[in-house]
Amino acid sequence: MTATQAYLANLLEKTATAQEWEWIQSKVQGDLKARQIAFVALPRFIRKVPVHTGGTMATPIQGWELDQWTLDRLARVYLLSHIPNHDETVYINAIEMLFDTAEINELVALYSALPLLAYPEKWLFRATEAVRSNMGVVFDAIAFGNPYPLHYFSELAWNQLVLKCIFNDKPIHLITGLTQRANAKLANTLSDFAHERWAAGRKVPAQVWRLVQNFMNDTLLDDMRRLLQSDDTYNQTAAALVCFHSTYAGAKELIESYPSLRNSVQKGQLQWKQLEVHQLCYV
Amino acid sequence: MQYLPLVRIYILYPMCQKHHTSQHPSHFEGSAEEQQTANQVQANYLEYIKDFKFFDPHIHMTSRTTDDYQAMADAGILAIIEPAFWLGQPRTGVATFKDYYSSLVGWERFRSSQFGIKHYCTIGLNSREANNEPLAEQVMEILPLFLYKEGVVGVGEIGYDDQTAAEDKYYRLQLELAKEANLPVQVHTPHRDKRKGTERSMAVALEHGIDPSMVIIDHNNEETVKSVLDKGFWAAFTIYPFTKMGNERMVEIVKQYGPERIMINSAADWGISDPLAVPKTAALMQMKGISAEAIRLVTYQNAIDAFAQSGQIQVEDFASGNTIDQSKTFNGNTILRGGQQPRVDKNSLFIR
Repeated sequence: MTATQAYLANLLEKTATAQEWEWIQSKVQGDLKARQIAFVALPRFIRKVPVHTGGTMATPIQGWELDQWTLDRLARVYLLSHIPNHDETVYINAIEMLFDTAEINELVALYSALPLLAYPEKWLFRATEAVRSNMGVVFDAIAFGNPYPLHYFSELAWNQLVLKCIFNDKPIHLITGLTQRANAKLANTLSDFAHERWAAGRKVPAQVWRLVQNFMNDTLLDDMRRLLQSDDTYNQTAAALVCFHSTYAGAKELIESYPSLRNSVQKGQLQWKQLEVHQLCYV
Repeated sequence: MQYLPLVRIYILYPMCQKHHTSQHPSHFEGSAEEQQTANQVQANYLEYIKDFKFFDPHIHMTSRTTDDYQAMADAGILAIIEPAFWLGQPRTGVATFKDYYSSLVGWERFRSSQFGIKHYCTIGLNSREANNEPLAEQVMEILPLFLYKEGVVGVGEIGYDDQTAAEDKYYRLQLELAKEANLPVQVHTPHRDKRKGTERSMAVALEHGIDPSMVIIDHNNEETVKSVLDKGFWAAFTIYPFTKMGNERMVEIVKQYGPERIMINSAADWGISDPLAVPKTAALMQMKGISAEAIRLVTYQNAIDAFAQSGQIQVEDFASGNTIDQSKTFNGNTILRGGQQPRVDKNSLFIR
């Protein structure tokens, strides 16, 4: 048993009833077809209660967040971790078949399992398909608390993930590796995006500006000026944080004209955390 | 599934569509009281069914618009079953079957949830396409992967169309699949030679040792209902203009046979059909003096009882009027929920 399997087993045991745990254990063996059917039929035997993650051992895969999971999702991921992977072709075909025929909750489990599947680079196309999905929970499964995009997405794919998240008013701070993979292209596209939204009389969630901090230029500086001049305190906070932490000369200068905001940032009274609005999406 | 003979529309349409009954009194042959009723039906039938809950056990939503979903939710439809059917033209490969089945448990399920309507489906090889035997063989291979899925409440819609040997073969094979998976069967009865086709559907199901309480015989009419009920099967009625039951006739059937083991559906699809057939028929029943309890049985409860034998229907998922999904709402956190579509005011000139 790998460290990840042990971790999942530990979580499962804590939430599952004895009967459920027994069913799960009986299904991690057997022939491939039986395992596939078990993956599909699982909700007939396993409840959808929230998983108890409190006080458990540390997650063996950094950035993999399981605390929003339900028991059926966890059990499915556990089953997937036991599909024999010594024959690459057989393994890939088996998983692809599950993807091809999956309903919504199965897709969520499959995408949640990407960080532990064998031959990780083989799932890159699948992972980008989840980003293209318009099924909210399927997109969320690849976007949030999932380290797969951080490690395997190209810059183009990564930027699409972040942009689609913003476009759909979803909370970008839940993306694993958000700061680590910030880049100049994304920062510039964000500026274009904001201009489109402003022209349409719509808003941009303030926290997205955290992505431009290290890639300032004159266009973005103008955007910061506009935010500081707006009557929205979230926007002002975002621009103050960007300008204060930026090394771009114009940004430093700009924030000096707003001494009270500057001081609040300096004292740590203003933080990105305050802009991480949880209730925004799907309104 | 409905195969609308288009030629009949041309014949019937100009004769039967009376949009403003009151302006053409000479064409109205009913009593004064009935005319009064007819006018009210057209005006605001929703008033008659204000606090009713509905379950439409046969409707092909992949063929319908979001306007339909919105109107259905507004009319009190809480949950639906979408049977797998013929798409209006034959499919040419197994991959399109696979994608279609996947869409019933994937995208369409999600689309429905955005309107607060719980979406179930039945999965099967329809009778028309059973006639393409090489393709039918391949479809049979992938069916088990779908039948065991969450929210798949039966094998359907299957049965006879032309009543060919190939249709018979795949009907029987799918009855066996249903037996093995312990799933109800949703049987499409043929349009042509209906009475004999219905009898044959029931006889074959019994021959395969399937309990009639696990079989929903669909698209009944005045000629088939008695035999279906006498044999212990569920009798479903499709309220569908021109080719199937009209809802006035439906009222008479419930008056005559009572509500036991009878259920109503719209079978709305890509033809001229009505996704509000179930609530409209309930309103008409209410006006015509059928008890609230009988209406509840034929427009809600009986369908649930029949298909919940699959073990895949949890009434609490929709009965409160909200689709509840633990994975979407638990811990009071709405971030991961599927999300309901924002309401759009249909009468507004502005699109924002």
